[in-house]
Amino acid sequence: MIVYDECVAEIQALLAQSHAGGSIVPPESDLIDELGLASLDVMELIEALEDRFDVAFPLNELGDVRTISDLAQRIQNLT
Amino acid sequence: MSLLQKLDAARAFQDQLGQLGVNAIGATIDVAGSATEGKIDGKRVILAGTNNYLGLTFDPACIEAAAQAVRTHGTGTTGSRLANGTYAGHAALERELSAFLGVRSAIAFTTGYVANVGAISTLAGPGDIIMLDADSHASIYEGAKLSGAEIYRFRHNDPADLDKRLRRLGDRCARTLVIVESLYSMLGDVAPLDQFCDVVKRHGAFLLLDDAHSFGIMGENGRGLAEVLGVEDEIDFVTGTFSKSLGSVGGFFASRKHDVAPLRSQIRAYMFTASSTPSVIASTRAALKRVSQGEALRAQLWKNCARVHEGLSSLGFTLGAAPSPVIASLMDSPEQAATAWQALLDAGIYVNLVVPPGAPKNLSLLRCSLSAAHTDDQVERIIEGYATVAQQLFDQPRAAATAYA
Repeated sequence: MIVYDECVAEIQALLAQSHAGGSIVPPESDLIDELGLASLDVMELIEALEDRFDVAFPLNELGDVRTISDLAQRIQNLT
Repeated sequence: MSLLQKLDAARAFQDQLGQLGVNAIGATIDVAGSATEGKIDGKRVILAGTNNYLGLTFDPACIEAAAQAVRTHGTGTTGSRLANGTYAGHAALERELSAFLGVRSAIAFTTGYVANVGAISTLAGPGDIIMLDADSHASIYEGAKLSGAEIYRFRHNDPADLDKRLRRLGDRCARTLVIVESLYSMLGDVAPLDQFCDVVKRHGAFLLLDDAHSFGIMGENGRGLAEVLGVEDEIDFVTGTFSKSLGSVGGFFASRKHDVAPLRSQIRAYMFTASSTPSVIASTRAALKRVSQGEALRAQLWKNCARVHEGLSSLGFTLGAAPSPVIASLMDSPEQAATAWQALLDAGIYVNLVVPPGAPKNLSLLRCSLSAAHTDDQVERIIEGYATVAQQLFDQPRAAATAYA
């Protein structure tokens, strides 16, 4: 069972390294418009999260994902 | 938000590319003239970015076959394969291709892109799963999207990563189509195809190989990477193109393990688009004959690859992979790549400029593709052109390329 808060924290930690200059950004942050992730970056983020939580996340789900919170909820729902 | 905002965004992207100071969307070849030399902007250049691996676009037998066909059958079929667009030549090409590859059946398509989109979107559907290599060609992504299947990616050329991701799918592997390429078109790297076959077999999934870039140029008989590795019987489906080693345009979908012929009446990209013109089919058939007896062409191609790879390495370029007909030099930035591309063109060498998002990992590349038709003199002139560029470049820091290497 993946806990939502744990998932948000993991995404925030990954983004702090890659796109947020070391900062922890709020869960409402928009991945593309605010944090500037390109589609390839989003897919690499998904790969890292799949490995961290040992789940399979279909790319088809990405269409509705805009924020860190959206992504965490989708991953939580996988279990 | 207006529908037309997309046009504004596209224009902004083009303007951004324009600021690089070159025609980054693609130079116009005024006259090809031969497989290896042409005219761009009125200037004679060596063509080293045309994927014309065996140089067959100007093979006399291929040209004659095309010329005869256009006189006999006219300029086009004006219809789809299922309607009025199947000529004896289309059927003959499919038979000859099947015999060459040793497959049960093969279907010819109007382009390689369409072959991938059509085959993938029909093989998999809602409830199925597509697992694709992260660096897959756009046509594979499009076919996957169109299929309605669940789509997953695994890390590029990484059998262990594929193994891990298939494990997560459990018994759903029986409904999973794994897709890999043989030789990747941007960096020129080759897949560990034998290892992929083992992983796919162990999990009970299906494997589709896109062999666009190794067909005709690898293997004793030119049947590609799968022939080299002795795994042709392990692969469920193969797609390929006529627009690289065969020097024309078109694509195919084939299988040794399964009869794909019934899918003719299911693949929308086959049923609802015009078939290849007779002249294209005729030159492709002639080229396939040349490929099947093409040991000398292949030997010359790989000799050229080794020489250019060695030459560019010696000049200090960071290259994308081991020697292959695609030799990508990694640049530090789109601006540097554009400047270098223009300098190469000024030196009489045409290669491909690749800027993000055209290549994996947002890399900027000078992409050179070699041909068996390049003479020793042309090969040396290509290296000399790069030497001119190297002089301009290598007094500057090369952080990005070095980091990737």
